Amino acid sequence: MGLEVPLWRAVAVFRFASLAYAAALLATGYRTYTNPLLGVAVLVAMLVWSVFASIAYAAPRRRRWPLLIADMLVTLGCLSASSWVISHDRLQGGAATLPMAWVAGAVLAWAIAGGRRWGALAALLVGAVDVSLRGAVTTATLNGTVLLLLAGFSIGYLVRLGVEAEQKLQRATEMEAATRERERLARDIHDSVLQVLALVQRRGAELGGQAADLGRLAGEQEAVLRSLVGTGAPELRQDGDRCDLKALLGRHASASVTVSGPATPVWLPCPGATELTAAVASALDNVRQHGGPRARAWVLIEEELTEIVVTVRDDGPGIPAGRLTEAAQAGRLGVAQSIQGRLRDLGGSVTITSTPGEGTEVEMRVPTTAQHKAKVRP
Amino acid sequence: MTIRVMVVDDHPMWRESVARDLTEAGYDVIAAVGDGAQAVRVGTSLRPDVVVLDLQLPDLSGVDVITALCKDDTAVRILVLSASGEHQDVLDAVKAGATGYLVKSAGRAEFLAAVARTAEGDAVFTPGLAGLVLGEFRRLAATPADDGDTPQLTERETEVLRLVAKGLSYKQIAGRLVLSPRTVQNHVQHTLGKLQLHNRIELVRYALERGLDTDG
Repeated sequence: MGLEVPLWRAVAVFRFASLAYAAALLATGYRTYTNPLLGVAVLVAMLVWSVFASIAYAAPRRRRWPLLIADMLVTLGCLSASSWVISHDRLQGGAATLPMAWVAGAVLAWAIAGGRRWGALAALLVGAVDVSLRGAVTTATLNGTVLLLLAGFSIGYLVRLGVEAEQKLQRATEMEAATRERERLARDIHDSVLQVLALVQRRGAELGGQAADLGRLAGEQEAVLRSLVGTGAPELRQDGDRCDLKALLGRHASASVTVSGPATPVWLPCPGATELTAAVASALDNVRQHGGPRARAWVLIEEELTEIVVTVRDDGPGIPAGRLTEAAQAGRLGVAQSIQGRLRDLGGSVTITSTPGEGTEVEMRVPTTAQHKAKVRP
Repeated sequence: MTIRVMVVDDHPMWRESVARDLTEAGYDVIAAVGDGAQAVRVGTSLRPDVVVLDLQLPDLSGVDVITALCKDDTAVRILVLSASGEHQDVLDAVKAGATGYLVKSAGRAEFLAAVARTAEGDAVFTPGLAGLVLGEFRRLAATPADDGDTPQLTERETEVLRLVAKGLSYKQIAGRLVLSPRTVQNHVQHTLGKLQLHNRIELVRYALERGLDTDG
């Protein structure tokens, strides 16, 4: 289907149109021919072959070399027959051959089936027979061959171009279908798998013991799967050189980490967003390290007029009031310092507060225009 | 008097599990339905006290169901139970009139406590919902309405919501701010009320504008 079907149909139409012209030439020049009866016989042969070729080329499985070669041989035969019908002098003078433009049918067939090289070769074959028929190379006799060569070459080229475009379109359509299928899968997963995982988690927690562990695992996978199918296409998380901080931080959500924020995207220049996400990740690592795998953490994203505030709070034991300043003064605040370093590069600030028994809170503030300084410098 | 509950969830396993938990806890589960149209039909005729609603329904959106139920019976309490995470649909559900929200992965005890509070007329907030509500008020403040009736949070309400969003319990918040847990609950409740009122005003205004447009 596609492009090739109308092309072959056009070739069939061309055969009959050029045949009609050849018949008209034969009728008008009937008296000048040396052997008009043979001319009529050749014309009938051309008609038979035109009918046969039109039917044969219609089926893709028959458009192969046997048919193409037969087409060329019949064409060359009809062309050669001109020498018994038309006088040698007239042929040498550049008179029309018996099939006239009908020979182009085979050249077009080769060009469509094989591309520009085979089209050109077919034109050269026909041209060679034409020239040998006339016995002399003159401008008048060469004209037809040059036209055929141009037609064979350009039609072959255009057909390849068209077929390639068609294939590209097909691939694009297939990809679109695949994307739709993925979206449908995401919806299905959402409606079924997520529900079951949540149910397992819920029931598991009630049963306790090993079932509770299974439930916890199911819950973790539910969170991972939900963020996978829920965040949508990656291009939605990026708008030019701005990234959605909410989507970036959302990847850290799990059974023990809750990420909250506004319903709409929180835009920040991408380098800044990445750096801030890294700072949050190290804060969360710190929670896991000191609070153990059971420690819970909450990440809150807030967008104020000129600032973006990200708070990471955990429910660990917290740090006694004096210890924090003491450690900071002694330069032993490891993670806190790395977070502070990142935020300083962003032109932001960090506040760490801790209430014994109510965990630790790391509040990071960055201007909404935050770029990473190291990357902004020329 | 026992509290009459309707469960709406398209997943049969969930529906049964939730209905069983509620029955065992002493609630009267008057209906358990699987799609939005049925929920509206059954809800408006049986008038349950509490509706436990999943936002992901095959036909109507959860918001449509909430709007229809609240229109019919302003006293109905709706607890949204969703697997979809804290996103726009949860915010829309709350603005439309739901008074509570809980993720589906919440434990049985947490779920039953949430239903009990919903039945009493208290708002049920998760940290995620608090984050959404904070974000919504900031969004409204950044794009003020022409006539200046943009809802705003008081400083105290903002403070309370931020602490809820950071995972603190009402008791912990009460301790920090030197308030009673009841006052904390009231502050949270107020923020939701303001949002729902604003949403109703917006809907009426929208309808009026549309109506005037079609008349003229």
